[in-house]
Amino acid sequence: MSTQASPKQLTLEYVKTIGLATNQTGRGFVNPYDVAVGQDGRIFVLNHCDSARKNLIRVGIVNLDEDYLGEFGSGAGTGDDQFSSPVAMVFDSKDRLYITDELHHRVTIFDSSGNFLDKWDTKGSGSGEFNGPAGIAIDSNDNVYIVDQHNSRVQKLTSDGKFIAEWGEFGSGPGQFNLPWGIAVDKEANVYVADWRNDRIQKFTTDGAYLASFGESGDGDGQLNRPSGVGVDDEGFVYVADWGNERLQVFAPDGSFVLVERGQATNSKWAEDYLSVNLEEKETREISNLVPDLPPHLNTPQHISAQTEPYFWGPVSVRFDRDGRLYIPESNRHRMQIYQRK
Amino acid sequence: MSNADIALMAHLMRRAGFGATRDELEAAVAKGYEATVEELLHPGDPQDLPQDIIRRYHTEQAELRLSDGAAANWMYRMITTQNPLEEKLALFWHSLFATGYVKLNQANALLNQIQMFRTYGLGNYATLLVELSRDPAMIIWLDNNDNHKEAINENYGRELLELFSMGIGNYTEQDIKECARAFTGWTLGNAEYMSTRASRDSIWPYSRINWHFQYRDHDHDDGEKTFLGETGNFNGQDIVEIIARQEATARFVSTRLFQFFAADEVDEDGETVIEEMMKSYFDSGYEIRSVLRTLFNSDYFKSEKARWARVKGPVELVIGAVRMAGSYREPTPGIEQVARQAVYMGQGLLQPPSVEGWHEGIEWVDSGALVERINFVAHELANVQNPGVRRIIDRLAGENGGTFTPEELVDRCLDLVGPVEVSDDTKAALIEYAGLQGDVSLANSDEGDESEQRVAGLLSLAAATREYQLA
Repeated sequence: MSTQASPKQLTLEYVKTIGLATNQTGRGFVNPYDVAVGQDGRIFVLNHCDSARKNLIRVGIVNLDEDYLGEFGSGAGTGDDQFSSPVAMVFDSKDRLYITDELHHRVTIFDSSGNFLDKWDTKGSGSGEFNGPAGIAIDSNDNVYIVDQHNSRVQKLTSDGKFIAEWGEFGSGPGQFNLPWGIAVDKEANVYVADWRNDRIQKFTTDGAYLASFGESGDGDGQLNRPSGVGVDDEGFVYVADWGNERLQVFAPDGSFVLVERGQATNSKWAEDYLSVNLEEKETREISNLVPDLPPHLNTPQHISAQTEPYFWGPVSVRFDRDGRLYIPESNRHRMQIYQRK
Repeated sequence: MSNADIALMAHLMRRAGFGATRDELEAAVAKGYEATVEELLHPGDPQDLPQDIIRRYHTEQAELRLSDGAAANWMYRMITTQNPLEEKLALFWHSLFATGYVKLNQANALLNQIQMFRTYGLGNYATLLVELSRDPAMIIWLDNNDNHKEAINENYGRELLELFSMGIGNYTEQDIKECARAFTGWTLGNAEYMSTRASRDSIWPYSRINWHFQYRDHDHDDGEKTFLGETGNFNGQDIVEIIARQEATARFVSTRLFQFFAADEVDEDGETVIEEMMKSYFDSGYEIRSVLRTLFNSDYFKSEKARWARVKGPVELVIGAVRMAGSYREPTPGIEQVARQAVYMGQGLLQPPSVEGWHEGIEWVDSGALVERINFVAHELANVQNPGVRRIIDRLAGENGGTFTPEELVDRCLDLVGPVEVSDDTKAALIEYAGLQGDVSLANSDEGDESEQRVAGLLSLAAATREYQLA
């Protein structure tokens, strides 16, 4: 299975789906918001939840073979290993994991075993202070870039929290933001911000000089509806979690549209395990059409995704592992779809 | 702008909406009563809290796995909409066509049903009943997915006639069977899998899969049927057309609308209004908008007799207090708790006790519920940080030099949270409370200081009166 678009000649190959809804801690995901892959290949999944399932907030750890390896952190609370609204996470070169929490205005740092190391948690609008930290990214020098959503800015800090730079203000002009969310850094340390409520991706130099913007409001090719996550590959192709349109889009380094992917999830190993012991569901599922034609009043991206199980539903983030695999966690489906560029 | 005009407009907005602030009342009075009625009957952009904002900050309301999130989602709409009648009428249809989460385990389908009420609720009643018959939540709720050509299930057919259109005594058991035959094949996509998942409350493997209507021609009984004296190869739409032209249907829907919007009890004058509503029903071709226009513009509705003639339902009470206080206008952790407050008072949104809906009127106010009602409203209005409370305090600070005797303050507070008309005894008690610390001066008050707290305390007490429990 693959999706291809000319003339950019970029092909995404579907790899697999990992995940399963759960009402408990342990195996399974609950509203996953972000993924980070450690140096040993372990995949860390941030279970965001909200007040409806706050006791299930945690970081789960799996591998590509779908073994559930453990978890750490809990919610909701203000303890050092607790979260209330964790949004994003990223590893630095020393395998230290940085996790944002938009309600606690906090970035918490853990080692790859889940041990608490440090936190930055001063609420405010001054340098190094946060109001609703959301997306987070790290460059090759371990500088940390944090989307400070309610301050309408990006802050750049050293890996030990020293302030380096900030840019942005509220608005819709170049360099301005409206509830920005995700962020990514390319290998030249250019910074890409998912300017969520402006329906665009903005590109900056490493110190915040405005370079470009792409995307506009809409649901056509190259148009965006509340982009939440962004990732950049080694060749500068930009992958966008087009959250409001419930899809993934890829843009060329010059910002031109390359392809759109609606999603093609299959049963994870955990899903197969579930169905193998719930035969009534398995049998009726097998005679069902999970990609149905829908009546016009349900033909919005969200309605379509809510009824079409293989499609993305709540794609929040786009992250790469060291082998170039692309992970898209879906908050509403409690899974992540994995793709690879060919 | 007379006090009588304000009082009449407040009455209209309590009934056709969830109450209104003084600023809103003054704006409506400036437009005029009938113009305001027309505005209510022709909802435009609701200008409510955008769904993208809600979904970003309330993950459960994006997924809609459970009823709490769905109820909270609807509450955001009711709290922030500029189309209060659209939501109030959706609440009416939700009570009349009561469909509950407990059997469905599918919150998304319930919210889709509420959206259907918004879309069709003011329009043609026959269209509304067809859409109701196609509604996946209703299909599962009343087992029409088990209504087959070779083995009918009468559940939906029976309730369509008894609870949704004509009322008992206006049809025969044979009519019910024929009605059920006409709705065979009206089911939902992947019905077997979806009903299995619903019965097991399954969220596996990847959360809920929302529902959509599907017509299965091969499972439809296309044979001849005789229904209410008419004979033909009727399908569901034909049955609804026959139902819609019955006088019993006109009386049923007019009476239910009267009881929800005008008065819990129907007296002789009320019967006259219902007759006028029935005439509008037929003259307009079954348009609910016309029926409601007749009601709201009737002398009866505008008369003193109709004032305070209904007990506020829990959702009305909660939403009214929150709209007055100006709280929850942005994503707020704990919005689910607001939805639960209505549950504690006896009305869980999307959780009606049965297909008969809630028993309204005085049954809303048992002693336990009354305590919950008073506590919730008092809590909302006692918080001087709430924007609506601040607006009242700021308004008072600008009147009369900001200084009030206890009598004046009681009058102003009762006026600004309603106007609420209280008994002499209640008023005397409020004045006694207000007089404990003498006059109040807001002229140079600071936010949250003692003067402001006294006003907020009195607002809370005004909302704790017997009269505030009525609409």
